[in-house]
Amino acid sequence: MLKMTDVSKVFRTELVETHALSDFSLTIDEGEFVTITGPSGCGKTTFLNIAGLLETHTSGEYLLDGTDVLSLNDYQRAKLRNQKIGFIFQSFNLMPDLNLFDNIDVPLRYRGMKSAERKERIEAALESVGLLARKKHVPSQLSGGQQQRIAIARALVGEPLFLLADEPTGNLDSNTAQGVLELLQEINEAGTTIIMVTHDQELASRSKRNIHILDGRISSPALTTVSSEPQAAAASI
Amino acid sequence: MIEAGPILRAMTRNKLGVILITLQIAFTMTVVINAIFIINERSSLMARPSGLDEANMFYISSVGFGDDYNGPVTVADDLAMLRQLPGVENATVTNAIPVSGSGSNSGVRLSDDESAAAAFAAYYRVDEQAIDTMDLDLIAGRNFNTGDIQWREPGQDLLRQELVISRALGERLFPDRPLNDVLGETIYIAGLQPQTVIGVVNQLQGPWPTNSMVELSMLQPMPSVGGRSTYLIRTEPGERDRLMAEVEEMLVSTNENRIVRGLMSLEQTREESYRIDSAMSTVLWVVISTLIFITCMGIVGLAVFGINRRRKQIGTRRALGATRSEILSYFMTENFLVTAIGVFLGAVLTIGFSIVLTSSFNMPTMAWYYTPIGMLALIVIGQIAVLGPSSGAARTEPAIATRSV
Repeated sequence: MLKMTDVSKVFRTELVETHALSDFSLTIDEGEFVTITGPSGCGKTTFLNIAGLLETHTSGEYLLDGTDVLSLNDYQRAKLRNQKIGFIFQSFNLMPDLNLFDNIDVPLRYRGMKSAERKERIEAALESVGLLARKKHVPSQLSGGQQQRIAIARALVGEPLFLLADEPTGNLDSNTAQGVLELLQEINEAGTTIIMVTHDQELASRSKRNIHILDGRISSPALTTVSSEPQAAAASI
Repeated sequence: MIEAGPILRAMTRNKLGVILITLQIAFTMTVVINAIFIINERSSLMARPSGLDEANMFYISSVGFGDDYNGPVTVADDLAMLRQLPGVENATVTNAIPVSGSGSNSGVRLSDDESAAAAFAAYYRVDEQAIDTMDLDLIAGRNFNTGDIQWREPGQDLLRQELVISRALGERLFPDRPLNDVLGETIYIAGLQPQTVIGVVNQLQGPWPTNSMVELSMLQPMPSVGGRSTYLIRTEPGERDRLMAEVEEMLVSTNENRIVRGLMSLEQTREESYRIDSAMSTVLWVVISTLIFITCMGIVGLAVFGINRRRKQIGTRRALGATRSEILSYFMTENFLVTAIGVFLGAVLTIGFSIVLTSSFNMPTMAWYYTPIGMLALIVIGQIAVLGPSSGAARTEPAIATRSV
């Protein structure tokens, strides 16, 4: 589903050249729940941006659902993002001026979907996160946890190939974070692949596989560290 | 327009900026459209033909003094010399010049009593060469002949009874009658014998261009040969400017008992007569340009502020699958909606203001198409104004969505 081979990302300025990712190889299969961990500045966000087609990599090969994304232009990348990837951001990134219904509607509109189908999907997504009754509310009327549930609903509504979650509990208290994590696990158990970037070891321990990045390279075996027992995986980090 | 619904709902949560820019657009539209209407009205007034071959005409006055000055002889000699000058088509003597702002008029009656005048018309007292000199289009009847002309000294009674009138005066005095039927009709002018219409010219404006009765005029065959005589001269094309200097010099040198003054082309006269209208149009254009510029700046300012405030939202939209053209379209649509609300409000104000101008200042009613054209123009201007900021927004990278600041 997602296969990176020797992917590198170099940021260049006039004075300095920074290797954010080096020879990064990773394969993620359908149905996995993978966490990406590592210290600040190790390249987690760069990985997430490349995996989510938000940035292009400098060299190497990245196949997303069989498509070599390096050859795609900006328009094609946008369309591929819209159809294949659901994003969950640390600070939710909801549109404060739009109500919840319109927020979840955003990716569907860019897909050019008919109004009736969009409405059906949005209400189903709201129902799945338990906030259908508040569809006319704006984000500021919700708690942080509720806002993240709306962000998850927005990520899921397009039925993407996988979810990319960037520190999804980073702005939440521990109780709320627990609820969000359980929701993500339910989603994964229902068959959706999840790739989650986090610095929270507790969260990482709940995933089926953890990839640890250090200085732009994978420091734990990316293709083999699979654990059926979350606690055992956590112990290996 | 796919985003129109969410954009409108979002606008209701950020009312102040939208309301202010909407009011600015509405105010601009009201002022601009009414100002353009006024300019166009003035321009069409200024563009009206006088009926004369203005491009090739000029005039000059001769004012005699002293006992040795013989008016009738001087005028006859001057006209003879003028008509023989190479490059001169014809010349006449007249008491007034069309569109000059200075002349005479009289009430015209259809019966010999004290009833109210049927019209007030400017009159030109000229000789039989006037129609040719002015290059007027005689559309009915005949010109004066030499025998019709009464060369008149100051204080002498006016005896002649023939009259050539403008088409507009004929239509005013005898509505719904063919112009040929007007010939032979008698009209009454205070202090004169009953006058008989012998001819009709297509157009001859009076001396007062802003007067609503400017098209009502008549030619009387009674040129004055008193102290002051004004010669109106038509030249061959391209000869006017040369002849203006030559004629002035000739008149000065041929008679010591007079002063020659007031040399001016009809084009200069028209320009001077319409100077206030022309200046008003210029001022209104400055007002229009300033208002449109300020409104454009307001639109750009609101757009730039909105874009900078929502930079992360734009990145998020890009991350969620918006293409650059969809981001561009989003902000163009947003601007379109703001401008559309403004121009609809402006349309109501424009029509209301126009009604006030019409009823309070006796202005003509504004044509219906001014408002829709103004609405369309402002929408287009608004879209052009916001194109730059929107294009900038469209270049926002999707990776902004994952940045923490």
